[in-house]
Amino acid sequence: MDLITVTRKSGLLFEFKVREHTVASDMSVSDGGTGAAPSPAELIAGSLGACVAMAVQSYCDSNGYTDGDVSVSLTFEFADDPKRVGVIAVDVELPDGVPEERQQEIRDVIAGAPIPETFNHKPNVDVEFA
Amino acid sequence: MEKKEFGGKLIEIDEDGFIQDPDAWDQAVAADLAKTEGVDSMTDDHWKVVNYLREYYLEYNMAPMIRKLCKQTGFKLKEIYDLFPSGPAKGACKVAGLPKPTGCV
Repeated sequence: MDLITVTRKSGLLFEFKVREHTVASDMSVSDGGTGAAPSPAELIAGSLGACVAMAVQSYCDSNGYTDGDVSVSLTFEFADDPKRVGVIAVDVELPDGVPEERQQEIRDVIAGAPIPETFNHKPNVDVEFA
Repeated sequence: MEKKEFGGKLIEIDEDGFIQDPDAWDQAVAADLAKTEGVDSMTDDHWKVVNYLREYYLEYNMAPMIRKLCKQTGFKLKEIYDLFPSGPAKGACKVAGLPKPTGCV
């Protein structure tokens, strides 16, 4: 896995770089930032959405459901004690022509995708001070 | 906190525009709160969402989960955001006079 480096731009606005890519993250104004970039929670939700979309698109492509693209809409809610993302609601739009009886199979594909599985199996976050 | 006029009444709101006294809410207040959320005129669809949120809150003293809101109103996520661009929590709940949802901090 490539190294990801996170550096401060200003206030709570940070950038993280991985390979040649740069992604910014900031908190909303109401949470003490400037809203200049997605918040960490929004990036997590977006990451989930992208992973789900990729998994479902791959399934559809492999099974000949190519009349349109997969798209995903999602939102999330925070929970307290401890403060965390508590709920992520995901709506998946499938290409035309996907039979309803395939939906359970697609749900299984989504559940088995890496980011949903990461949520299910709680990674070990191992912190050291460099 | 500040007081602003909504529905012909002076109502205390927080820095994000959520009313502080749930008993101060009525439909006229909701219509004015909606304007602060970019909704110039409340349609039947808007009221469907707001009324469900309000009924749920009065019964359970909390906002419903987003998926429950979608299922009970029949709207998809995108449709909820079309109605309330700030979303179900920051937008619709505000118009329905519910407390501000928990944020990141």
